[in-house]
Amino acid sequence: MATARRATDAPLPLRRRLLAASIVVLATPWPGILRPAQASEPAQAIQFIDRLGKQVLDVLRDERLERSDRLERLTGLLDQATDLALVARLVLGRYWRDASEPQRREYTTLFRSLVLKTMADRLESYGGETYEVLGGQPVDDRDTIVSTRIKRPGDASAIAVDWRVREQGGRLLIIDIVAEGVSMVVTQRSEAAEIAGRAGLDGLLDEMRRRLSRTA
Amino acid sequence: MKRRPELCGLLLAAAVAAAPARAEDANDPLEPVNRVVYGLNELADVMLLGPVAQAYGELPSPLRTGVRNVLDNLRTPVTFVNDLLQGETERAGTTLARFMINSSIGLFGLFDLATGLGHPQHTEDFGQTLAVWGVGEGPFLVLPLLGPSNLRDAGGLAVDRLALDPWSELASSEVGLARNGAEAIDTRQRLDPVIQDVRRNSLDPYATVRSAYRQRRAAEIRNGRPPAGESSYEKIFEESDDGDSETGD
Repeated sequence: MATARRATDAPLPLRRRLLAASIVVLATPWPGILRPAQASEPAQAIQFIDRLGKQVLDVLRDERLERSDRLERLTGLLDQATDLALVARLVLGRYWRDASEPQRREYTTLFRSLVLKTMADRLESYGGETYEVLGGQPVDDRDTIVSTRIKRPGDASAIAVDWRVREQGGRLLIIDIVAEGVSMVVTQRSEAAEIAGRAGLDGLLDEMRRRLSRTA
Repeated sequence: MKRRPELCGLLLAAAVAAAPARAEDANDPLEPVNRVVYGLNELADVMLLGPVAQAYGELPSPLRTGVRNVLDNLRTPVTFVNDLLQGETERAGTTLARFMINSSIGLFGLFDLATGLGHPQHTEDFGQTLAVWGVGEGPFLVLPLLGPSNLRDAGGLAVDRLALDPWSELASSEVGLARNGAEAIDTRQRLDPVIQDVRRNSLDPYATVRSAYRQRRAAEIRNGRPPAGESSYEKIFEESDDGDSETGD
C-alpha cells in the first residue's frame, strides 16, 4: 500500500525500494508464507462444511429436543461457523462507510436479530432434507467455494447450494450462501440499498426494527 | 413471419442501449409501474393462484411428479432448439435423448426414465440464447400474471411461445390452456416455500424478487455454474478486514 502511494512522488532510490519491498513481505501474515497452499486447499473447507452439515442435521433430527433448545443449539452453530459481522457489513455495502459508530453497532445488532428470527421461522419447514458435498473450488488466497446439493425426500431434483468459506486467522467462517445461483449477500445488499437509497440509513434501521417487532 | 424477428431485433437493440453501466445497478427505470403490477400480481396470487396451488399440493406426490414430468417433456423441443442455437451440441443430444426416452417408454412423458439413464434434465429458453449471443438484459419488468422478467427475457418468451414451441398452434385450444394452467399451478406450488419465506422475512419483497430474478437468470445462462469469479460478485468480497477500506465505486 505504502509503496503504491509513494510511486506518485519522485522515484525512490533502488535501495529504499528494496527496503520497502522487504517490509511489505515481512508484514505479510506469516501463515500466508509458511503455508501458501493453506487457503486454496479446498479439503479443509469441504471438511468444515461437511461437519457443520452433520451437526445441523443432528439438531434438526433429534426429536427429544424442545423447540427452544433446538434454536439455541442452531444459534450456537451459526455463531461458531459464520462471520455474521462481516456479512452484515458486506450487505450494507457503501452505506457502511458513511455510518456513524453507534449506527454501525445498532445495524449489526439488528442484522443478527433478523437472521435469528429468519432461522427460527425456517425451522418449522424442515422436512427431512439431506445434503451431499460435491467438492470445493478456491476463489482466491482466502476464500473457497464448497458446493453441496440439498435433497428433499421423495423429490428427484436437488437444490444446488454453494458456501463461500473464508479463512481468517486460522479459522474457517462462512461469509455467503448461494442457492441455485442466488447469493444471500447480493440479494440482501440490493434490498438494503433500495431502502437506504429511499429512506436513508436511519430509514433502513427503522424498517429492520419494525420487521423485528412484527410477530407474523 | 419475416417481420417479427426484425421488430424483436429493434426492441433488443433498444434493450442493449439501455443496458446498465454498472452491474449492480437495479436497472429498473420503470420501478413505479413495476411495483404496481407486482402488487396486483400479489393480490391475484393471494386470492386465486396461491390457494389453488395449495390445494394442488395436497394431491399425492407421485401424481404431481407425473404432471411435472409431462409438462417438462412438452418443454423439451424448445430447450432442444435453444441448445442448438447456443452451440451446445452435447446438451442438445441430452435433450433429444430425454424426449425420445420419456415420450416412448416413459408413457408420453409421465415417467422421467431418462434421468436414471444418465440424461439429466436442464432447460433453455430464447432469453438465455439471446444472452449467450451477447444481448444485455435490458430494464427489469414485472409482467402481469407472469411475474418478474426483463426486456430481453420477455422478448425471448414471446419467441419461445410463438415461434419455437411446436405446440404453439394449440395455445388457445383447451389443451393449450390446460397446459398453461397446469404449468402455472405446478410452478407456483413448487415455489411456495420460497414465496412464503420472502413474504415473511424480506424487508422489501419487491427488491428481493428483482435481485433474485436477475441472479437466477444469470446462473441459468452460465448453465448453473456458481457466481464465484464473476467480477461484480467478487468485488463485494474484496474489501479488507478493517472495514473502512472498502474500494470506492
